[in-house]
Formats: sequence, C-alpha cells, structure tokens
Amino acid sequence: MTLIYAAIVLFGLTLLFAGLLGIAKEKLRVDEDPRIGKVLDVLPAANCGGCGFAGCADFAKAVVEGRADVGGCPVGGPSCAEKVAAVLGVEVVKTWPYRPVIHCRARREDKHGLVPYEGVQSCVEANAVGVTQACTYGCLGFGDCVASCEYDALHMVEGLPVVDYDKCTGCGACVKACPRNLIERIPFKKERMLVVGCSNHEPGKSVKQVCKVGCIGCKACQRLFANLFDVKDNLAYINYDNYTGEEELDKAVEKCPAGSVVFFGQPKPQYEEILAEEATK
Amino acid sequence: MIGTLLDRFRGLKSFPRGIHPPHRKKLSEPRPIELFIPKGPLQVPMVQHLGAGCTPIVKPKQEVQYGEKIGDVEAFVSAPIHASVAGTTGAGIVAVLPSGRRVPAITLTPAAEGALPVGFLEQFLDRNWDGVEPTSFSPEAVVQGMRDQGIVGMGGATFPTHVKLKRDPNRPVDTVVLNGCECEPYLTADHRLMLESPEAIVVGLYLAMHAVGAKRAIIAIENNKPDAIEAMRRAALGRPGFEVAVCATSYPMGGERQLVWAVLGRTVPSAPKGLPLDVGVVMINCATAHCIARAVVRGMPLTHRVVTVTGRGVARPGNYLVPTGTLFSELIDHCGGLTDEVLKVVAGGPMMGPTVPHLNVPVVKGTSGITCMVDAETAHWVETPCIRCGKCVDNCPLHLSPTKIAHAVKFRDYAMANQYDMMACCECGCCAYVCPANIPLAQYIKAGKNQQRLMAAQNKK
Repeated sequence: MTLIYAAIVLFGLTLLFAGLLGIAKEKLRVDEDPRIGKVLDVLPAANCGGCGFAGCADFAKAVVEGRADVGGCPVGGPSCAEKVAAVLGVEVVKTWPYRPVIHCRARREDKHGLVPYEGVQSCVEANAVGVTQACTYGCLGFGDCVASCEYDALHMVEGLPVVDYDKCTGCGACVKACPRNLIERIPFKKERMLVVGCSNHEPGKSVKQVCKVGCIGCKACQRLFANLFDVKDNLAYINYDNYTGEEELDKAVEKCPAGSVVFFGQPKPQYEEILAEEATK
Repeated sequence: MIGTLLDRFRGLKSFPRGIHPPHRKKLSEPRPIELFIPKGPLQVPMVQHLGAGCTPIVKPKQEVQYGEKIGDVEAFVSAPIHASVAGTTGAGIVAVLPSGRRVPAITLTPAAEGALPVGFLEQFLDRNWDGVEPTSFSPEAVVQGMRDQGIVGMGGATFPTHVKLKRDPNRPVDTVVLNGCECEPYLTADHRLMLESPEAIVVGLYLAMHAVGAKRAIIAIENNKPDAIEAMRRAALGRPGFEVAVCATSYPMGGERQLVWAVLGRTVPSAPKGLPLDVGVVMINCATAHCIARAVVRGMPLTHRVVTVTGRGVARPGNYLVPTGTLFSELIDHCGGLTDEVLKVVAGGPMMGPTVPHLNVPVVKGTSGITCMVDAETAHWVETPCIRCGKCVDNCPLHLSPTKIAHAVKFRDYAMANQYDMMACCECGCCAYVCPANIPLAQYIKAGKNQQRLMAAQNKK
C-alpha cells in the first residue's frame, strides 16, 4: 500500500512541476530576435574581440540592433560579411581587408645607443621605466604584439615583429598590445603596400643620432608623389585614400635617403631563412 | 620593527621597514657648489611642473634678459617658466624630459657676455639674511610671490608650491616639515645647500610656516650629515617654534609618509587621495625653501638649481648650480665627460631615477642629480620565479604586498592589482632591492600604475 501512495505522490508532484514549468515558459519568455542566432552561426566563432565587442555573440547582437556594420568582423572578411548581410537582407558595402603594418623598421643593428636593460622582458613594462634604446618612438622589440596574436601571424625577426599575412586575420589585437602605438591597420589594396617604417617626429639630425633608417622628414617622397605623401612634424605619412599601388612606387623606396619607406605584404621569401634559423634555436 | 626601536633608543627618528643601501655620497660630498654657465643652446621645457603646461610668451629670435618670464598659463595648478640665462630664443621644439616624456620647449642661446648677472653664485648662496623679518610679508604676498617666480617642489615631484602652501580654513596646518633627508644614495645637492646657505633655507621655511599659519617647524636631517645638522641648528637658533630632528639613515626616509610618521608619529592616509595636509602637516624640500626665500624676499625667479653630477662613470663628480634647460651632455662635458666604462646615466638617484635615453635631455626644476654608473655599481639581474619568502612585504615602507601587485600586473589583471592597492605605491623600489629572486617588482608596479592611468584617461573620453 505504501508503495502505491509513494507512486501517487510522486506522480502528482511531477504533474504539478510540469504545470509550473509550462506556465513559466509562457510568462517569463524573453523575446530574442531569431536573426541573432542566425548571424552567430555564420560568424567564425573566434571570440577574439577584434570587432570591438566582447565576443561573437555580442557582435551578432550589435549587428542585428544596427550598432555594428555587417562587415565589422575582421576575421571573417568579405565572405562572412556577405553571409551576415544575407541573413539581415541588406547590401554589403565592400571594404578592403585591413591588415596591420609596423611603423618602425629599425632592426637591432639599425639602432644607435642601445641602453643596457635587464628589467622585465615586456614592452609595457620597458616603456613604463623609460628606455632601453635611444629612440623614444621606435619598437622596443620584446614582442608584446607577438604574444597577443591568437593566429601565430607575428614573429620576432632580428628584434622587429614581422607579419605573416597568410595567417593574419586583421583582428587588431597587436594594435592594442603595442604601448608605443606603432602598429596600424591599413587597407590592403594590393598584394604589397607602401608603408613609412618610422614614427619618430624629431628633426632629421636627432633621428640620425638614434637610428640608421629613421625618417628625417626630407620630403623627397612628397616631391615624387605629392598627393600620396604628406610630411607632418618631420615625419612622412601616406594617404591610403589616394593609393593605387602602381609599379612606379618603387621610385619612392629608391629615393628615400634614409630607407624608411618600405613595402609590406610580401616580405616572406627574404625572411624565410632567418625564420627557419630562429625556429631551430 | 626592532631596528626602529633601536633607533628610538638612540634618540633617532625612524620609521618601520625600509632598507639601507650603500650611501656612496663621498664622491661629491666634499665638493662645494660651483656655478656652471652653458655655452651651447639650452632647451627650456614649457612643462617643468605637475599640472597644466605653459604656453611660450616670447617670439623666436627675441632677445631676453635673465629672469624674464618666457612661458605662462592661466591655470591654478601650474608655474611660470623664466629665462634661465640672458640670450636669444630659438624655434619651438619638442624636448624629451629625463622621464622619457615629450613636452614642448623653446631653445635659448646664451649671450656671449653677461648671460648671468655679475656675482650670481655669491648672490645665490648669500648667507646674510639678518634683518629680514618674514612676518612682515602677508601670507597672500608670500603665496603670490611663489606663484610669480615659478616655485615648484624641488624634491622631484615638482608640485607647484603656491598651491601646496595656500591656506585652507577647512584643513588647518600646525607643522611644516623641512625635508633635508636626501635619502637617495649618491645625491648631495641638498646637503651642500644646507651647508653653504642654511640661513636662506631657514628664512624660506619661516615664510612657508607663515603662509600656512603653522606654529611649529621641524627640520629633518639624516644622521649621516652631521655637518648639515650643525649648520641648520646654528641657522635656526633663536627662531621660535623651530626644532631640528635627527633621523636615522634609512631609505626612503625622505618619503612624505615615512618622514611625517618618523618625526610626528602621524599616519598620512594612503595615496593617491591622502596627503600630509590631512593630518595637519605640510612638507617642503630644503631646496624649495631656499627658493621661497629668494623669490619672496629678493624677487628672484626659480631659474637655477643645484645638481649633483656623480658616479664613477664621470671624470669629475661635483655639485653644480645649473640653469634649467641645460642639456645633460653639456654639463657632463664640463665635468670631464663620461669615462669609457660607463654603463648608464640616471636622472636623479639610482633608487628612483629613470635611465635617460640619450644625453640631449634638459635639466629641469626637479632634476636633483645626474648619476653616471659603471658596471661595478649596478646589479645584474636575471628574473627567477617568486619563492614566496615575503621579503618585499617585510620591507615595503607603505605596508603593501608588492609581490601580489606585481603578479597581477604581469598577467594584466589590473582589477586585482587595485584590490592590493597598487595606486598607493610610491615606487621607492625597496621591494625590488631586497628580492632574492631578482624580480623587478617596482618596475611591474610602475607599469601597472601607468596602464591604470591610461585606462582611466580613456574611460573619461
């Protein structure tokens, strides 16, 4: 008899809780836009935060609510942007892939006046105590950017980070990691892009004292391509809106007396040997 | 704690914890203050103080007289800049301060003749202050005089003195402490000044007391400078409310929290909000007091300061009276240049001073010394894992846990670092000095504080 009572009580409780759950489902329902889930499905799910949001789910919500651009995911690129646009039923605005370049091209041997430094081997800490080298603008070379890269697309070569553009997704983690703000994401309109590999605003004489390849603000590049180059505060800048990537840009590289204007984008063959060497160490 | 009790027993003022690094002051201690007149162009930064930067009020290629105001700004927390030599101004440039910070500056080429008034050094170290009655100046006049002559705290923090000494009815001050400890190894600039011009320091201290309405003044000097103690004692003789406190030689005795505790037994609330003002104390450096006397009584602007050039890496160490804006390179050349084995040049003392990136760095109002260190004077460190010995905790004069903060910063967890009160750290470097695992704890904490300030600035935007 006891057995039957127990079964009845349990069965009754089951019915009661099932009823409560049924009511709760209706009463406490949160209406979420079904498109958020669909957008999330087509995102790469890297959760890198390169878009500026907390992760893919947050980005998906932002896109649906109109707070973010459909092409806002730097990892997914144009194909992802198209899929997101298809879910939302909007036109995708085509953009160039944005990839990082480093505005310092001074390798270890190019720098003058290295200060002996035995502190923390990290850029943020080294930058806080002042200096490890005479140039107060240039790359410190401890590789905070390399450590921040989730895609193994950055490597230190001779004290300078080198981007592997095959692996790079343009998430922008390295841009945030650099305490000296040397890394910038530029629109890669061509396979290789012309970049000013210097951030030093000092006059030419002072730059020469600290670096072999620093920009001295001579304006030689500006005289060649007036609409492309702009020299502000002793430092050349490239206006990428007017960038066409014609072959004659090689002239700018030749003409630069300091050698601070360089191409980024296809540097692999010349570094492959060194990369292999560093890997074996 | 036992060390503090022993010091008390010997009649010395002391504070718990802290360290005892070698003094190494003998290099420059016996050398009297010499005047240095630069020949090459000076870089006079427009920011030599905490607070708003000045805007230049002279045009390029303009003739300026010694002491003429060349930069000023309206803001309350700021101090004007004066021409430190007579000469011709040049174009505006960007100068690198010893800390690595970049600030606007103007170049100033000294005139070939008469760059400084005749007898400048004698005037600077004038010991005849008889007949000067500090109470004849009203407190407002004292504060205004300091503001007009650009006086800032010369111990290193360069906080504008007229802001510090402005009377606040809500927070009355009963004691002014004169900081003559100079606890940093190597440096002897304050020591020489106390020996060679103690009367002016006492007058300056009296003026500061008068400005804030304090009744008591304590002159604190470490016991490794017996001659300075004697000189100050004699200069302060007959001044009511003045007393000389002999402190134990311990680093960082010159920190405001440590010194106020040592001489008065009062605990200053922790940084960044707490100030000695909260416990009714104002503390000024002895070089600042010297400048206050010269500014208020004689109307002389703050254009020069005593700089100790020292270390085994420089040929002729000494104490020099240097115009602000003088490049390190020129001053070091005057001292016989760097020796071959010099390893690094530090602005200030070795405990807290930053290594300078290059020698094209100007002397500013807060530069107390230039220490040129050779290999034998520095320690070579390889960081090893923390062994949890707790030595840094035992020696932190602010009772923090440096190892906890440093590890939080290492893994970029600034929220946790703040839980351990990172911003209260004064960056004295005791923790890194005693660490047997050679962890540069002070550097981690300094970086963490920098990042925290950056993030706060970004959030404000």
